[in-house]
Amino acid sequence: MNIDLDKMLAKVRSSQWALVDIDWEAPGAELITPEQWPKLKAFMSDLMWIEHVGARGFAAMAKKAPNETLKQLYIYFHAEEQRHANTEMALMRRWGMLDGEEIPEPNINLRLVIQWLDQYSDDMPLEVLGSVIPMLEIALDGALCKFLLDTVNDPVCHQAFARINDDESRHLGVGFHVLEMQGHGKLYQMALKAVATTLNPKLMLGILAYLPLLNRMRDNIVTMGLKEESLYSAMQKYERIGGRTAAGRRNPWFQIISRHGRLVVNRKHFYHRPVDALVRLTDHYPRRLLRPVPTWVKQLTYKTTA
Amino acid sequence: MSQNTVVKKLAARRSGAVKSNAAPADVLIVGAGFAGLGTAIRLLAAGVDNIVILERGDEVGGTWRDNSYPGAACDIPSNLYSFSFAQNPQWSRGYSGSGEILGYIHHLVDHYGLRRLIRFGHTVTDLAFDAGQGLWSASIAGGKPVSARSAVMAQGPLSNASFPDIAGIERFKGHKIHSARWDHGYDFSGKRVAVIGTGASAVQIIPELVKQASQLKVFQRTPAWVLPRMDYTAPDWSKAVFSRVPTTQSLVRGAMFWAHESMALGMIWNTPMTALLQRISSGFLRRQVKDAWMRRQLTPDFRIGCKRVLMSSDYYRALQRDNCELITWPIATLSENGIRTSEGLEHRVDCIVFATGFDVSRSGTPFPVTGLDGRKLNQEWARGAQAYKSVNIAGYPNLFMTFGPNSGPGHNSALVYMESQIDYIVRGIRTILQQDLKMLDVRADAQLGYNKGIQKRLSRTNWNSGCKSWYLTEDGFNATMYPGFATQFRRQMKTFSSRDYLAL
Ligand SMILES: Cc1cc2nc3c(=O)[nH]c(=O)nc-3n(C[C@H](O)[C@H](O)[C@H](O)COP(=O)(O)OP(=O)(O)OC[C@H]3O[C@@H](n4cnc5c(N)ncnc54)[C@H](O)[C@@H]3O)c2cc1C
Ligand SMILES: [Fe+2]
Ligand SMILES: [Fe+2]
Repeated sequence: MNIDLDKMLAKVRSSQWALVDIDWEAPGAELITPEQWPKLKAFMSDLMWIEHVGARGFAAMAKKAPNETLKQLYIYFHAEEQRHANTEMALMRRWGMLDGEEIPEPNINLRLVIQWLDQYSDDMPLEVLGSVIPMLEIALDGALCKFLLDTVNDPVCHQAFARINDDESRHLGVGFHVLEMQGHGKLYQMALKAVATTLNPKLMLGILAYLPLLNRMRDNIVTMGLKEESLYSAMQKYERIGGRTAAGRRNPWFQIISRHGRLVVNRKHFYHRPVDALVRLTDHYPRRLLRPVPTWVKQLTYKTTA
Repeated sequence: MSQNTVVKKLAARRSGAVKSNAAPADVLIVGAGFAGLGTAIRLLAAGVDNIVILERGDEVGGTWRDNSYPGAACDIPSNLYSFSFAQNPQWSRGYSGSGEILGYIHHLVDHYGLRRLIRFGHTVTDLAFDAGQGLWSASIAGGKPVSARSAVMAQGPLSNASFPDIAGIERFKGHKIHSARWDHGYDFSGKRVAVIGTGASAVQIIPELVKQASQLKVFQRTPAWVLPRMDYTAPDWSKAVFSRVPTTQSLVRGAMFWAHESMALGMIWNTPMTALLQRISSGFLRRQVKDAWMRRQLTPDFRIGCKRVLMSSDYYRALQRDNCELITWPIATLSENGIRTSEGLEHRVDCIVFATGFDVSRSGTPFPVTGLDGRKLNQEWARGAQAYKSVNIAGYPNLFMTFGPNSGPGHNSALVYMESQIDYIVRGIRTILQQDLKMLDVRADAQLGYNKGIQKRLSRTNWNSGCKSWYLTEDGFNATMYPGFATQFRRQMKTFSSRDYLAL
């Protein structure tokens, strides 16, 4: 996917929107059914946190961007993911899912990922985040959001996600562009560098936080009624788009992540035994070992004005 | 020719109505800031007094007339941010405020009797050279043109302030203030105020506004390196010593000069000193700001010196006051009620303060300048300004400028650089008058050679190390800074080599 980054930046600049652009009091909230409500609440809370975690990922990437245009794009994407999280929180509020002013409680796996992002994400090479983020985005875009729109009839929700998805299409465009950009170069050098990076203990900690999160989310989503196949097809989409060009396929991080994607969606694979065990283990993670929630999390808000 | 005969010769030439628009002056100067006034003072001392100063405002002072925002002060010690030939023993503090600096400028005007030379309300809209007569003619907005045998462009590097090009700026219904055109009538108490920009002016304004406004939101695009500013109140005894024994003040000034010169080592080039300065600045940030995320927001991702280093001891503390908030989300647009940032929030405010800097012409001229054979300076400069020793340009005889291309200091007082330029200009003008030249024009090859050297040296500096700053054109050409110590600049300006000029 070869795109003109300068044009993309101009497009991003001219496509900004704000929460005040949406009428949060418009009718339609009553279309949420009582049996839907508790599941939707859990789903939205996860969704909102993923957006927020993605936002922090873009903040780290902005520090690593190889040129000024890409840096500016990542600065915008950081803000846009935050906007998505804020918008989803505003929807939750509209549906009476927020406890007063409180931000929904993140599950323990999210807490661990947040902690890792806070401590180490700024030290990660661009290739790592640049390959993981498109995967998460495509899963969000292709599976979660679609599922949500299929099951929720509130027109305000549809309005909000029309805007969110519009942003996401640009994130994906840039995401796959960068994925390919990083597939240029000597194969063995890239592979060596990738191996060296995976041996980095900071990254290992990150992987340890990330794997159980994925599995827990998958479980949450499936209990809500999302078909596993749609997750599966989203992962395939990552492989298809990312692997469209030789350069994309040569990017070792693309290879690692798409292979891992196959494992995640194959329920029968041995992979899930240790990872599911990790999920259960993290439930017992001593809360007193958690560092205080970083202040960037406290910038989340459902408010339209301040 | 001795000084006396020059003066006599000049007096003879001047016979008649000096003040009339019709008779050409010897020198016309655009601008009555430090540079224009300083040039006039040194010209008078050299015996040239048929001078006209054209000033668009109705007062002298330039920068220090215009920048009167709360907290406005110099960030180079006053003892060094003043003319060496007119030191002021009475500076009340280490870094004097705008009002006191303006007072000093007024003192210069009175002491050297400059007011009679100045024509206020004269905005120069065009400068053109008439080769036949050897005269520069300045067009004046709504007035008669003024002509002179030589012209000095001293209109200031940072004198044109305008609101930035932010989407929706015309929609905002609240109050708008530009830092360089402060509205002293506006009462900030109880108001929700936004400050856009976190540069040199902003770090001075914010600590003051946070005391007055009920809520202050600071919108930052790029953080800068900040070093503490060691300000102090000057005790009476030191003022007394300085006025009784002026050499003591010169000694202090000299020490300050060398202290700043040594900073060049870290600021201009990438040396171990650069790393040291960055460590000092990061250490200062770590001590002042407790929250890790806020420190991240305030940590620059370029090398120190690449952009202007800010001097402030109270900025970080001000940002952490309960009624202050630092916002680093990009601004999406201004709306009727305030500022919308890209994370989706509309920040409602009563007043927006724009501390967004100045229109700097790095690849053009503030007004059209026409030289020999109708050549236009803004066309020649379209791809980046160039001059000879920052003062002369080939094809524009008898024209001089202060703070021309590659004359800017990053680590030392602008006035130190300015004095060297002024002395050089005075020599050029005296040459024209003494030898009764129609034209004194720098040779194109001399200018080219000079610039090759400058650009080569610039490529090794921190300014050209990859950050985006107002020092560079869109294409990354540096037409602003002088790549070297003030001492080097001074030395280069001390020699006036007539070989490099064509005289007619
Ligand atoms: C807020 C601020 C703080 C600063 N602090 C420092 C510091 O601490 N240390 C330092 O070294 N430097 C500092 N500077 C840089 C400062 O610009 C110079 O030090 C110095 O004041 C420049 O003097 P000048 O005479 O060249 O320009 P100015 O002071 O800007 O004077 C130019 C004059 O020309 C007039 N003019 C402009 N265009 C025209 C026209 N077309 N026709 C007629 N008249 C015209 C203007 O009205 C003005 O009066 C600071 C600058 C600013 C803006
Ligand atoms: Fe998103
Ligand atoms: Fe996204």
